[in-house]
Amino acid sequence: MANTDYSVPASAVHAVLREKGVNAVTTVPDFIQFALHDRLKNDPDMTYLECSAENQALTTAMGMYVGGLEPIVMMQNQGLLNCLNSLRSVGIDGSIPLVLFVGAFGREFSNLGQPLTDSRRVMVNRTQPVVEALGLPFYNLETPGDLPKVAEAFDTARATKRAAVVHFGYFPAWN
Amino acid sequence: MSMTNFQACGVIHQFRGDALITNTMSAMFAISAVSPSPLNLASVPLMGGASGLGLGLAIAQPNRQVMVLDGDSSLLMELGTLAQIGDVAPANFIHFVFNNSLQFSGVANLDRPGRNLDFCAVALGAGYASAQKIETPEALAAAMPELLEQNGPHMVELIIRAPEKFTHETPQPEIPELQFTRMGAESAAMMDALGTTR
Repeated sequence: MANTDYSVPASAVHAVLREKGVNAVTTVPDFIQFALHDRLKNDPDMTYLECSAENQALTTAMGMYVGGLEPIVMMQNQGLLNCLNSLRSVGIDGSIPLVLFVGAFGREFSNLGQPLTDSRRVMVNRTQPVVEALGLPFYNLETPGDLPKVAEAFDTARATKRAAVVHFGYFPAWN
Repeated sequence: MSMTNFQACGVIHQFRGDALITNTMSAMFAISAVSPSPLNLASVPLMGGASGLGLGLAIAQPNRQVMVLDGDSSLLMELGTLAQIGDVAPANFIHFVFNNSLQFSGVANLDRPGRNLDFCAVALGAGYASAQKIETPEALAAAMPELLEQNGPHMVELIIRAPEKFTHETPQPEIPELQFTRMGAESAAMMDALGTTR
């Protein structure tokens, strides 16, 4: 497979977000999800808020959710590691069903198609174990065939009143 | 001059109306006692989270007043949140910082960093509409009508007198279970009150 075969079209992800009623994004923008950021920031029906740090993206999203909006939170894997306590508080103790979109910054292309835990790079190979250690579901998008996992993440988060992580293992495509 | 957490929260209670109040740390205990309401949301145990919660509420509920009862050390933890508040510039937003220059006030009274930091100057630099330092409950009561009338975001630095710390004779109690469940319970109660439960 060519590297680009691992890209999930950003338009398809955007369509799932619309279907799930998402109308807000809080983010510390990441190096992986550029195509999706571009679409969401330019969606007139989307409130898109850049934050200084991932803790703030999570708490602001919680405030939005309590106030009636349907936010997602976008960050990269380093950002996820940066905000674990806020994720514990908001996504578990607070019972807020936020879906986090996490980009796999630093993933070596030779790891594509292989388990994330086999990556040579700590920020890549520890992300899934850390999320699962918190007891939260982790959905890795490895190819376009994984797109149904996005909707599944929303369904699981909302049913369990807990956060869920959608992990972009490769750059989403600009189409 | 200074005031206690309870004096400050007593004044806020008089003027809050149906405002949504996010709160944390020592201000949390005072507002919970003085102004209990389903419209209160504690950031606990999550030091630093009150300002982000308040900003999110202010964006989602633009027609309702939002007040953040922050701690000085708490705001320092998430000082970058001022950048977002300045960007969004919610008109319905009053950010109170309970400044006692301590961490664990009334428990251990440890010094906090930033002894020379000027919260009002930082807030104004970030784009807040106003910022002021208030040292007495009377001055706070006098300022409240204009804070509610004028478009925000407003920063109000409250100079707070810390209670005595724990000693061998007054040992600290176990943290009650409530502190570990109230963030979820209060968010559910606020959603019920706002009609946003789903």
